[in-house]
Amino acid sequence: MRGTDVLFAGFGGQGMLLAGKLLAHAAMAEGLEVSWLPSYGPEMRGGTANVTVCLASEPIGSPLLTRHAALVAMNLPSLEKFAPRVRPGGVIVLDTTLIERDPERPDCTVVRVDARRLAREAGVERAQNLVMLGAYAGATHAVPLAAVETAIHGEFSGEKARFAPANVAAFRAGVAVGADAVAAAAGRDA
Amino acid sequence: MTKILMKGNEALGEAAVRAGCVHFFGYPITPQTEIPEYLVKRLAQVGGTFVQAESEIAAIHMVMGASGVGVRCMTSSSSPGISLMAEGMSYIAACELPCVVVNMMRAGPGLGGILPAQSDYHQATRGHGHGDYQVIVLAPSSVQEAVDLMGLAFELAERWRNPVMVCADGMIGQMMEPVEFADGDGRGPPMPPNDWALGVREGRRRRIVNSLYLSPEELLAHNRKLKAKYDAIAATERRSELDAGAGGYDVLVVAFGTMARICRTAVDELRAEGLRPALFRPISLKPFPYPELRRALDAIDGDGPVLAVEMSMGQMVDDVRLAAEGTRRVLFHGTAGGVVPSPDDVAAEIRAALGAAVA
Amino acid sequence: MGEIHVAEERCKGCGLCIDACPRGLIAFSDHMNEKGYTVVTFVGERSACTGCAMCATACPDQGIEVWNKAGRQTFENTTGLTERMSHYCPGCTHGVIHRIAAECLQELGLLDRAVGIAPVGCSVLAYEYFNVDMFEAAHGRAPAVATGAKRARPECIVFTYQGDGDLCSIGGNEILHAANRGERITVIFVNNAIYGMTGGQMAPTTLPGQRTTTSPRGRDVESTGHPLRMAELLATLGTPGFIARGSAHDPAHVLRTKKLIKRAFELQRDGTCFTFVEVLSTCPTNWGLSPHEATEWLQDNMLPVFPLGVLKEPAAVAEGAA
Repeated sequence: MRGTDVLFAGFGGQGMLLAGKLLAHAAMAEGLEVSWLPSYGPEMRGGTANVTVCLASEPIGSPLLTRHAALVAMNLPSLEKFAPRVRPGGVIVLDTTLIERDPERPDCTVVRVDARRLAREAGVERAQNLVMLGAYAGATHAVPLAAVETAIHGEFSGEKARFAPANVAAFRAGVAVGADAVAAAAGRDA
Repeated sequence: MTKILMKGNEALGEAAVRAGCVHFFGYPITPQTEIPEYLVKRLAQVGGTFVQAESEIAAIHMVMGASGVGVRCMTSSSSPGISLMAEGMSYIAACELPCVVVNMMRAGPGLGGILPAQSDYHQATRGHGHGDYQVIVLAPSSVQEAVDLMGLAFELAERWRNPVMVCADGMIGQMMEPVEFADGDGRGPPMPPNDWALGVREGRRRRIVNSLYLSPEELLAHNRKLKAKYDAIAATERRSELDAGAGGYDVLVVAFGTMARICRTAVDELRAEGLRPALFRPISLKPFPYPELRRALDAIDGDGPVLAVEMSMGQMVDDVRLAAEGTRRVLFHGTAGGVVPSPDDVAAEIRAALGAAVA
Repeated sequence: MGEIHVAEERCKGCGLCIDACPRGLIAFSDHMNEKGYTVVTFVGERSACTGCAMCATACPDQGIEVWNKAGRQTFENTTGLTERMSHYCPGCTHGVIHRIAAECLQELGLLDRAVGIAPVGCSVLAYEYFNVDMFEAAHGRAPAVATGAKRARPECIVFTYQGDGDLCSIGGNEILHAANRGERITVIFVNNAIYGMTGGQMAPTTLPGQRTTTSPRGRDVESTGHPLRMAELLATLGTPGFIARGSAHDPAHVLRTKKLIKRAFELQRDGTCFTFVEVLSTCPTNWGLSPHEATEWLQDNMLPVFPLGVLKEPAAVAEGAA
């Protein structure tokens, strides 16, 4: 594959870095080259937190990008800042829990996810990041879904293993939303 | 060997342990704090020494003490902390002791910021403490290369009895990438016995680790000895990489560390458009690969220029000029403060350079 | 009858041995050695000398060896020092402090695993004098170098030898934190209330009103603060340690101070705690006094400000003693 990338962005504490890390683990397990580059510094505490994950079959060039193939946004400041930087034809996954606005990118596939509700239904309200990751994976199939689930089990192992099923469920709920959105967009385009 | 997804800072720490370095002395500073945080746990597993020093000044002198008694040791810091280590670096180099210093560069001057920069290039390559001394400086551009260069750093430090600096930027430290370590998962072997380290004497003549030479003739002799060593290092330890592309090139981009990766993306995009840029990446910043760069410069088609790209206001570009010796137009693009040039920025600069070459 | 042997080539003519002899049996001779110093000589009756070795104890330059009435050598130069003549000024008690530290290492059988760290200041060349493995450290950083060396080689006996500018001023942070971490090192802190090497500037330990080249009207405590009492300061730390202060201005104090240093090395050898011995020392040159006057000045002016004794014992040892 030529390579793709995604920017996960939200408030600190929403689990964006973990979502990116799970994606990176999944990609690495699939034999892809991968880089995971977080924003760092004081803004991590309560401010915005974001991470860029690049995936490719060739060595990754710049791990830092100003244009993205995909954006996963969990708050309005992130959407406003980064939606304009998504490449034409890209994917924007947004969390309707905190974002009511439209990204105004008719040239992109927009996936709207009610992450809080889906996470709650899956059994862990905190797993909204997993729902968002699922929506991204379901919409793009950047990595095989099973590889992400393996990464989730890897993250939630040992004492944390009891959280794994609900997190997988949250991920799957997101996958369905992502896949539906892409199908709907395809139908509309056709 | 299996790949592990690791943050650059942690991977550097692990690489040190595998290189047999189990003595760490350091002081917290963003963006390298994960190195001590990782090592405090890891060194406890392998029976090593971890000391959180009271300052970077103390840390580098602790390194001097440990190195002087013949153990493999290191410290790590970021730009303002490295400034404080200037004194110790001069002493350690003067005493010809081996050690590794990691500088996870952040933006300056002064307190500056905590975001990535390459603005310590002059500091790293021009000695940065007082007196005629040099340190070997290695600049990784990926987490894997950071791991590989850490191993090399200890090797060179002991081969040349000299400090070696691994000079990366905050991005390398904070980024996660898959890494592979050489076989074995424990600590590497200790420093072999030598004829200079202090310690238990067991009947041998006493040894002195010293940098004071009150006789000017003796100090000159010491300076000449060091210079001969630096010349030998310059002759044998240059490391660089040239991606000339296929069928010649019209412009040469020069960049190191993370900046070289960003340039790589720009170069790939431009090649896809049919343009012909090439990319030269110094891996050893000291010794700077002047001959290799000169050959690459001489191979630019026509009177095409060279473009140095840095996360600074222009420092490595001085060495590019030295390599060019006036034979090429030397262009520069850089940003500082933690604002990192994007692939688009770089691509635009390369286009402009090519346009200028045509005009 | 006892007997002393004066190595005239080592004598700097300071006369401290003259002050030290309880029977007044030593005096200046009428001739100079090749360095131009008027050397001392034994005067009076041989039978009057008891071989007490107070003269040799006071000598900063390893210039006197002593035999008692039974013909037994009561003072022999230590092998813990090299034979090199020191660069210290005549009457400076650095040489005495070097010697007693080296004697302690020798008597404890530790010379073979001692690693010393010389400072910057008058004792910068200490690495030439201590007959053990030596570092020369940057100004004030000796405790950091010692930390690195001791942590890496706990089997070594690591000691620093530092003056007041080095330890109290530029190295204030390093000594404080080495003590607070409880590094198993020995610090010998030589306090002469002035900067010697640079020519008599004010030190953190300079006394109130004391004239130096940078306090020409006397140290003004309003603008330059009071003498820094490092031993007292370190004794306040919660970390166990052995903190003591001695003096080198006369033979009796030298012998008492030697016991403190020996204790410090023993505690380090046993891995007990951080050990710190401050030693009050003279600086005849920069105080502008004769060696004899300097010892009196120390006694009259420094002792009241820097009281002698053990300021802190490691807790376990203190309890054991009680």
